[in-house]
Amino acid sequence: MTTDTSVQSPRVMWATRAIGLLALVGTGLTVWLGLWVTPPDKVQGDLVRLVYIHPGVAWVALYLAFGLAAACSLLYLWPRTRSLFWDRLAAAAVEVGVVFNVATLISGSVWGKPTWGVWWAWDARLTSTAVLLVLFLGYLALRRVPAEPEVRAKRSAFAALFAAVDVPIVHFSVLWWKTLHQGATVLNPNLSPTIHGSMAWTLLLGFVALTLAFVWMLLVRYRIGALEDFLGSGELDMALLERQSEGAGPTPEPLGTADDARAPVKASR
Amino acid sequence: MRYVIAGYVVVLTLLFLYGVQLVWRRRRLNRLVAQVEDSRSGDLAEAGPA
Amino acid sequence: MWRDTLLVAGKDLRIEARSRVALSQVAPFGIVALALFAFALGPDRAPMAKGAPGLFWVAVLFSSVLAIQRSVSVESVDGARDGLRLSGLDPAGQFLGKTLSVAAQLVVLEVVLGLGVVLLYGANIETFWLIVVSCGLGTIGLAAAGTLYGALSAGLRVKETLLPFLLLPVVAPVLLAGTRMWQAALTGGTPSNGTPWFHLLIAFDAVYLALGVVVYGPIQETA
Repeated sequence: MTTDTSVQSPRVMWATRAIGLLALVGTGLTVWLGLWVTPPDKVQGDLVRLVYIHPGVAWVALYLAFGLAAACSLLYLWPRTRSLFWDRLAAAAVEVGVVFNVATLISGSVWGKPTWGVWWAWDARLTSTAVLLVLFLGYLALRRVPAEPEVRAKRSAFAALFAAVDVPIVHFSVLWWKTLHQGATVLNPNLSPTIHGSMAWTLLLGFVALTLAFVWMLLVRYRIGALEDFLGSGELDMALLERQSEGAGPTPEPLGTADDARAPVKASR
Repeated sequence: MRYVIAGYVVVLTLLFLYGVQLVWRRRRLNRLVAQVEDSRSGDLAEAGPA
Repeated sequence: MWRDTLLVAGKDLRIEARSRVALSQVAPFGIVALALFAFALGPDRAPMAKGAPGLFWVAVLFSSVLAIQRSVSVESVDGARDGLRLSGLDPAGQFLGKTLSVAAQLVVLEVVLGLGVVLLYGANIETFWLIVVSCGLGTIGLAAAGTLYGALSAGLRVKETLLPFLLLPVVAPVLLAGTRMWQAALTGGTPSNGTPWFHLLIAFDAVYLALGVVVYGPIQETA
C-alpha cells in the first residue's frame, strides 16, 4: 500500500492554519484575562492566576497527548487497523506531550514555591507526572534508533503499550506512597473549592486555547513525520541534499521507495 | 505575583519556541522534498521518452 | 507452554551455572552498591538503618538491570535468537522461561543483599514473612517487566544505555511497594500497612506476566 505522503490536502493545510491562529488568539486572551482582568482569589491571592494555565497544560499532556499515543499504538498493533498513520500520530502526540509535560511540571513547581515554600515536593501528582515524563522520553529515545519504519513502529507501539499499562499502577503506588506514609502529610494542594464568574470562564478558555495549541502542534508534527518518512528519514541524506543544493552540484539519487517515482509530482507547502 | 509572571513567561515561551521549531522543521523538510522532486523530474526530462 | 517454560528456564540456568556470571559479577555489583550507599550515608549507622529498606531495593533494581542484560545477551551470539524462533518453542513459554530464570537469579541475589543489609546496616527484621512475600512478589514483577523490555531492546546496539532508562521508571511501583513492605517488616508494623502494597505488587505481576505471554512472540519478530 503506497500512500503518497508528500501531498497534503489543501483542506488539512487550511485547517492547520486556522487552528493555529485560534490557538494563538485564545492563548493571548487567556493571558490577558488571567493576568489582568480576573480578580485575585480570597485564599490564594494572585497565585490562582497560574490555575488558568497549569491544569490546562496538565490535561493536555497527561490525558490528551498520552491517551492519544496509547490509543494510536493499540490501533497500530491491531492487524486490522495497522497503518503507519497511527504510528506517526502516536510519535507526534508523544513529542508534543513531552513539551506539555515539562510545562506542567514547571507551572506546578512555580505555583508550589510560594505555596509550599519549595520548588519541588514529592507530592503524588508531581511525582507521577515526573515518572510519566521519563516514560515519554524513553519512548522517544527508542524511536531514535535507526530502523525500518515498520520495525520502529512496532517497537514503539509495544513500548507505548507497556508504559500505558504501567501508568495506573504508578499513579496508585505514588498516591499510596504519599498518603499511607506514617507521618502526617504536610503539603496539601488545596485549590479554592468554588471558582466562579470571570475566573471560571478564564479557566475554561485556558483549557480550550491550550487544547487548540496541542492540536495545531500535533498536526504540524505529524506532517513533519510524514515528510521525514517520505525522504527516507536519514539525517545524513538530508544534510547531503542540502549541501549539494547549495553547491549546485550533481543532483543526488532520489530517496524513497520505487513507488514514489510513480507518485504525482507535487510540491506541498 | 512575580512567581505568576515567571510561570506564565516560562510556560508560554516554551510552547511558543517549540511551535516555532516545528514550523522551521516543516519548512526545511518541504524545501528538501521540493528539491528531490525537482531533481527527479529533471532526470525524467533528460532521460526522454522511454 | 509449561513444558517450553521449563525447557527455556533450564537452558538459561544451566548457562548461568556454567558461566557463573550472575554469581561472580552481578551479586558483587549489588554488594558494591550497598557499600557505596554506606559511604554516602555513613559513618553513622542510624541513617543507614533507617534507609535500609529503600537502599536494599535500589540495589536490587540496579542489579536486576544487569541480570536482564545478561539474560538478553546469552542469545545474541551465534544466531541463537533465530535458532529459538525456528525451534518451534511456544513464545509464551520462552517468555515465562526467561522470566523464571531471571527471577531465580534475583532471588539468590536478594538473599545475599538482604544479609548484607542486615549485617552492614544493622537492620532489624521483625516480621520475616513480610520480607519473604515482598521479595517474592517484587522479584516476579521485576523479572517479567525486565524480560519484556529486554526483548524490546534486544537487537539494538544502544541497549546498554537504553534498557536501564526504559526499565527503571516502569518498575518504580515495585520499588515503592517493596520499600514500604520492608519498612513495615523492620518496625514490626501491622499487615494493614502492607495490604494495599500487596495488591499493587500482585496487580503489577499479573499485568506484566499477562502482557509478556501475549506479546513476547510478536516482539521477537521485530528483532
